[in-house]
Amino acid sequence: MNTDDLIERLARQSSAVTPLPAPGKRVALWLGWAALYLAVVFLPMGAAAMDAVGSLYVLQQAAAMVMALAAANAALTSVIPGLATRAWTRPVVGVVVWTIGLLLAVAADMRAAGMAGLGSQTDWPCVVSMTVGGVVVGAPLVWMLRNGAPLTPRVTAALTAIAALGVTNIAACLTRPHAFAITVLVWHGATLAAVAVCAAMIGRHWFRWPETKTL
Amino acid sequence: MERDPGADEHLSRLMARAQQGDQDAYITLLRAVTPRIRLMVRRRHGQSPDVDVEDVVQEVLLSLHSVRHTYDPVRPFMPWMSAIVRHRVADASRRRMRLGREIAVGDLDVTFGADPPNTFEETFQDAEALARAIQSLPPGQREAVELLKLRELSLKEAAAATGSSVGALKVAMHRAIASLRRALGGLHEE
Repeated sequence: MNTDDLIERLARQSSAVTPLPAPGKRVALWLGWAALYLAVVFLPMGAAAMDAVGSLYVLQQAAAMVMALAAANAALTSVIPGLATRAWTRPVVGVVVWTIGLLLAVAADMRAAGMAGLGSQTDWPCVVSMTVGGVVVGAPLVWMLRNGAPLTPRVTAALTAIAALGVTNIAACLTRPHAFAITVLVWHGATLAAVAVCAAMIGRHWFRWPETKTL
Repeated sequence: MERDPGADEHLSRLMARAQQGDQDAYITLLRAVTPRIRLMVRRRHGQSPDVDVEDVVQEVLLSLHSVRHTYDPVRPFMPWMSAIVRHRVADASRRRMRLGREIAVGDLDVTFGADPPNTFEETFQDAEALARAIQSLPPGQREAVELLKLRELSLKEAAAATGSSVGALKVAMHRAIASLRRALGGLHEE
């Protein structure tokens, strides 16, 4: 088809469209969903949920939430042409703070209990709950992202996984308290990394350029 | 590409009107940006002889159209459009490399195939029997024969016409020829 003909056809079939809201507004929308998920997980626990709360715990979970929000924001930014430059760098600060918080907790454990925590616990239930919960928390984000431009589908998918598992990590830490922070660092960290890599590998199937059907 | 703030502002206004459904503004915008897109595609693809610049330009226009709701009218237009061009050109390059690899293997198969291709066309004289044999082929194989042999389309053109891949068409054609050879060979023997 001639390019001029294509332009004519595109113009003829064009109709009014509503511009996407800014990524920040869409993050707030997703945060509402994530908060609902956390409320559903926490409410049945009642006062027992507060037993696990200490200052280091609060720091870790706050860092995990910052990481999740930064990743969600970066993912939603990555589907807006012209805004998407190096979107993947944005959640790095959150990941670093989360990791530092866990490393501080690991150091505190080692001062108190020596090397007892190393390799002493497996954490498969958290792997499952984080992954399954990640699907629940991440699905609406994927749906929102599919309404954008899939400029960097692999990066967008990995960021989505980090956002979703950042939230489900908080739920996993509270519903299943861990004796040693090293367990969280290794098992939760590895789960998050593995899911992010898997998401990146299948990202091109999630995020494709929309078809222009009427041509 | 150098940015002209005045021109960018004009394009932003046109795009904002296009988002509100103004078809005249949209066609003006697309006509204004197409030469720029063409230039960007040419620059990025260099002088590569196997790239159809116009195909990539059209792909960019389709992409731009399909995600026009992602443009925020308060932001400059050209960075938005340039990002789409950059990524679609990269996609086209990746696709070309992949296709290049596929064709290289396909060519070997055709060039050094054990059975000489198309010989039945040269030696078989019963046109009616040939037409009947073609009609008896499964739809996919029949379509491949009609497009590639009767209408003499290229693999790329036939793939575009049918919506299937070049590889799938090659397989369908190969099977069709094998089926025809069997069917018409049987006739010869009778």
